[in-house]
Amino acid sequence: MAWLCSRTVLQTCRRQFFRNAVYSKEKPLPDPLDLATGLEKRELLAAAAGNFDPYHMKAIEIVRDSTRESPNLVPSAFKSRIVGCICEEDTAHVNWMWLHDGQPRRCECGHWFKLTEVAPLG
Amino acid sequence: MKKNFPFFLVKISPWPIIMSLNLMNLFISIVLWINFKFLLLMIIMFMNLIMIKILWFRDIIRESTFMGYHTFYIKIMLKFSMIMFIISELFFFISFFWTFFHSSISPSIEINMIWPPKMIKVFNYMEIPLLNTFTLITSGFYITLSHLYFLNNFFYKSMKALLSTILMGLYFSMIQMFEYMNSYFCINDSIYGSIFFLSTGFHGIHVLVGTIMLIVSFIRMYKFHFSLIHHINFELSIWYWHFVDVIWLFLYLFYYMLI
Repeated sequence: MAWLCSRTVLQTCRRQFFRNAVYSKEKPLPDPLDLATGLEKRELLAAAAGNFDPYHMKAIEIVRDSTRESPNLVPSAFKSRIVGCICEEDTAHVNWMWLHDGQPRRCECGHWFKLTEVAPLG
Repeated sequence: MKKNFPFFLVKISPWPIIMSLNLMNLFISIVLWINFKFLLLMIIMFMNLIMIKILWFRDIIRESTFMGYHTFYIKIMLKFSMIMFIISELFFFISFFWTFFHSSISPSIEINMIWPPKMIKVFNYMEIPLLNTFTLITSGFYITLSHLYFLNNFFYKSMKALLSTILMGLYFSMIQMFEYMNSYFCINDSIYGSIFFLSTGFHGIHVLVGTIMLIVSFIRMYKFHFSLIHHINFELSIWYWHFVDVIWLFLYLFYYMLI
């Protein structure tokens, strides 16, 4: 009887320990890049490649002495893009204009702009 | 069509118009239930509402997890819209608190100019309400623990802590229902009963909704929909749960303790 009792206790203890050991093995979360698909994944890949502005949405710094032959290049994935020119550094307003593919355009302040083709992300 | 912007233009979805029609029907059926005890239509419309919600959120889960439309900007906008939603909910509850203080700080002659009104036997704040408070605070602690485990890549521990939170939320709803069933006053007993059951009842509904959000987070976590940088559902559920938690603390303080 003593043997039976102690064997029962020992077996129960062993099973408990075994179960706890299995449960305490942690499972990692899915890798963010593996889980992401579509546009989100392309965005993440662009960021991994060092491009934190894949949609070209941030302001670009313009060259002050641009001419018709060497205009400021505006990236766009389409035929036309709206451009806002901050003509001088202290200007409090933005001059908006349409910029079309193929022809450089001049803001009234004198800065030249030209559309360049870039590949779209989406 | 090629596109080069982070914003997500949704396709034509039937859910907004169906949801609005359903809500109109639900409100009419609630009036029918309250005035004429016609319960069946309300149950049907409520089940309809739940079904529409399930299908709508199914679409959103497909768009975010399986189609990858929720980019960085979309995630920021979702977070800000949740902040706006929680602020509007906060002001919703502020209106109830306003009513409560208006009636309790200078009680009117109709309720004997005392608060609580004459012949109203209020709850003992050291009994079930205190247990409720401890349950909710502990659940808030556990949801934070779950998030911490999640961010430190402990999947099972995060699941366990989240499950504890859900169970505590259900326990809260259960003992709140028990308390309602054993109360000595009803919603028809003067301004006290009205504002008490309105506020705590709306808080209870918010706890139920928060529990459902946490259950959905739990299921999605179990199905590996969440990654370290994209678990908006989980995060927003946590915000909502903390909000409900804080509202309960104020309810406990003013409705139970300081009267």
